[in-house]
Amino acid sequence: MKADAFRSELDFTVRIAGEGGDGVISCGELFARAAARTEYHVFTYITYPAEIRGGISMIQIRVRDWTIYSMGSQVDYMVVFNQASCDRNLPALRKSGVVIFDPDHVRLPANLNAIRISIPFSNISIRETSSRMSKNIVALGALSGLFKMERSLVAQLIKERYAHKGDAAVEKNLKALDAGYSKVVDSDQRGKYNLKAEEKSRGRYMFLSGNEAIALGAIAAGCRFVAGYPITPATSIFETLIKLLPRVGGRAVQMEDEIASISAVIGASFSGEKALTPTSGPGLQLMGEQLNLASMIELPLVIVNVQRGGPSTGLPTKTEQSDLKFAIYGTSGEAPRIILAPTSVEDCFYQTIRAFNLAERFQSPVILLSDQSIGYRKATVRLPDFAEIREIGECRPQDKLLLPSAEKIDLVHRIKPKRNELKDYKRFKSTPTGVSPISSPGMKGGQYIATGLEHDEAGKADYSPANHLAMSEKRFRKLEALSNRLEVNPPEYHGSRDAAIGIIGWGSTEGAIREARYKAEAEGVLVRHLHPKVLSPLPVRKIRHFLADLEQVLVVEENYTGQFAHFIKGKFGIKPIEMHKCEGVPITSNEILAGIKKVARITDEKNITKL
Amino acid sequence: MKRTLQSYKSGIKPVWCPGCGDYAILRAIQQAFLDMNLPPEDIAVVSGIGCSGRLSHYLNTYSLHGTHGRAVPTALGVKAARPELTVMAVGGDGDGLGIGGGHIPHAARKNVDMTYLLIDNRIYGLTKGQSSPTTPVGRSTTTSPDGVTEPPVDVIPVLLSYDVSFVAQTSSLNIPEMTDIIKKAIRHKGFSMVHIFSLCKTFPVIEADVLKDLLCPLPEDHPRSDKLEAMKRGYSRDHLYTGVFYQVEKPVLEQQLDARIERSCSFEQGEPTDNIEDLLLRYV
Repeated sequence: MKADAFRSELDFTVRIAGEGGDGVISCGELFARAAARTEYHVFTYITYPAEIRGGISMIQIRVRDWTIYSMGSQVDYMVVFNQASCDRNLPALRKSGVVIFDPDHVRLPANLNAIRISIPFSNISIRETSSRMSKNIVALGALSGLFKMERSLVAQLIKERYAHKGDAAVEKNLKALDAGYSKVVDSDQRGKYNLKAEEKSRGRYMFLSGNEAIALGAIAAGCRFVAGYPITPATSIFETLIKLLPRVGGRAVQMEDEIASISAVIGASFSGEKALTPTSGPGLQLMGEQLNLASMIELPLVIVNVQRGGPSTGLPTKTEQSDLKFAIYGTSGEAPRIILAPTSVEDCFYQTIRAFNLAERFQSPVILLSDQSIGYRKATVRLPDFAEIREIGECRPQDKLLLPSAEKIDLVHRIKPKRNELKDYKRFKSTPTGVSPISSPGMKGGQYIATGLEHDEAGKADYSPANHLAMSEKRFRKLEALSNRLEVNPPEYHGSRDAAIGIIGWGSTEGAIREARYKAEAEGVLVRHLHPKVLSPLPVRKIRHFLADLEQVLVVEENYTGQFAHFIKGKFGIKPIEMHKCEGVPITSNEILAGIKKVARITDEKNITKL
Repeated sequence: MKRTLQSYKSGIKPVWCPGCGDYAILRAIQQAFLDMNLPPEDIAVVSGIGCSGRLSHYLNTYSLHGTHGRAVPTALGVKAARPELTVMAVGGDGDGLGIGGGHIPHAARKNVDMTYLLIDNRIYGLTKGQSSPTTPVGRSTTTSPDGVTEPPVDVIPVLLSYDVSFVAQTSSLNIPEMTDIIKKAIRHKGFSMVHIFSLCKTFPVIEADVLKDLLCPLPEDHPRSDKLEAMKRGYSRDHLYTGVFYQVEKPVLEQQLDARIERSCSFEQGEPTDNIEDLLLRYV
């Protein structure tokens, strides 16, 4: 364990809460953007009410001098606009934390153990701008003063954000900013941290939401076609793509529903383009039948599912990891597909590129399982080395391929038939890896029939028993080929090899689990952590090896029934201890730590030195 | 090498019943492709489910036999991604008026430049004779043992209401007329639909002679840009008119998508580029 990966000089969390419409998110995002210009890492977490107005909005910003793995378990600085948001959020404030509140709208409990900073946001806004509207910017001014941010930088960000509303709006907000700023500075209640803007010495960073990272990853991967239908919390992927795709010669089409969206993506991929559709759980369900068609006619395509709370309309603006089983098994008949799950905002960028590489290489639909918590979260993301982004063209299943990273990105394409293969072309030719060269329109002699009916190697409908077996084998051989590649390039384990306790997670819980492991290690409990990013197929031998040395395995996930735990049970015949959280909010490192300690108590006493 | 009808045949033997209208329709499509001398490799045909869905198997084109009702949005994806291709969707009355009916208004609004042949035999033939959205009232089928009670869809007026930019009607009884109309539909810049009356020999809803007597070419002077006139003739009960009911020019989806690319690039004063550096730098 690297000490600096866990302990840091600067690490604090700010939460801003108010009623929907109070401007809470704008205030927080501006603060986060300003903080992202400093030497430090920034990580935000947002919950919206599902409605446009009313309900409680919250944004939490964590700033740290080292990589941030989670939203943080406790809040150091709390900004509250009204009583309801105060009552709801105050329990998250750590002892002796700082609370900044509007005394005209919030009454704090008398026995509260906290440093109180009273700023009448509303009244100051009315005094300075003759409207309540800028109270969030008064609060932003107060935060800027507290953390000694440069006024000019924050003012610049305000100008950029409100320019479209005209000069008068910008002026009002600047006055509100100054009023909040001086209120804190004059009262000499400045915080212990200094967020002066500086050139980052650790390379250049973007400040992105997970959804934006997916959109940019798709463009980087060579995706030039997207079809989609708005659905919370995935919509901003389509919104980002429709804005940016034309610049690279790409096309985005809003369709009438999710079935039409995936149909258009199937059409685009059939025509030879790399194509994507973004959606959330209910949308993925609607796509089910067409997804099977894509498996059957072996077309590369990428579906992004930004998971939300379910079932049914469920919790559209909240997070959950509950579409895993549907993603893997939600098919009529048996349709192979590849499932990936990104673990962080940065990973959204690279796993999207990987999703396209796998789709093209194995001629298969790929489902990327993101979720609301990383989709809406913003974080600092390292820019890739542009000189190291390479088109390497056709890629066969057996070829070696590096995982995309900031250091190096290889982009691959589906294998095309060679001239001699076009004579009597067999689109679905049986091969050892199951992958057969695929033609696309314009290629003379490459014409073929792609049918959802069971078909022979040439594509001709064929229901004979031997053919159905042979073609089922062909389609599933591709997953075996991928699984074999993953044995060579397995998921990383973290933590000590001596640990008797293993913890397995997937997707967005990676950071919280990692942090929990650091905390457990600091208390003398050794833990090994496995976090596969390709969830299906899994590298069976490698995971069996990981499991063999462990006495207890804890599977952590954000759902009610333990979907990944069931999958692991079925594949490896073990009985893991399941830890679920099904509350619509991300699991925290402290909750996982408590789970680890419980497991430690019932495991090997030797592991526990300080419990 | 000079192209012949053979150039458009896949070599797969059709599975349709003897006397099925789909044979004539297949022939008309191949003849239209030949008359226009289209390179087979530059044609994409997407079909739905049903007897007519099998049509794509028999064409030597890039053919996609997809799912029930989704031929139109699938074909739209092909065209939007590769505007230089000739794109055709084919489906039956179940496909286009039942399960997939909801896609037609949107393809019409987008005015994607493709042709959709709606082959209407007024029955679900492949699954052995269930009633369809165009089965006449009173007709007894396996799913309407006491006779159909819902009135059939008035196809032409519905397509006109959606403002499909090319609306035509023909029948499988007349190969030269079908060929001519299919060619016009392909040449039309925009979303063109051809409603083709077809005959099911195994589960006949209407006899060839009866249909023949009802069919009547639109008058020579039929004003193609007059939607109300087209509507009137589309509702006609005495005759089933054939020919082009309506044709109008509207902006096409692919042009709009190209215009977005152009606007985005001229604003930045550059050509479309695969260099993503400046896109990513916007987020720094």
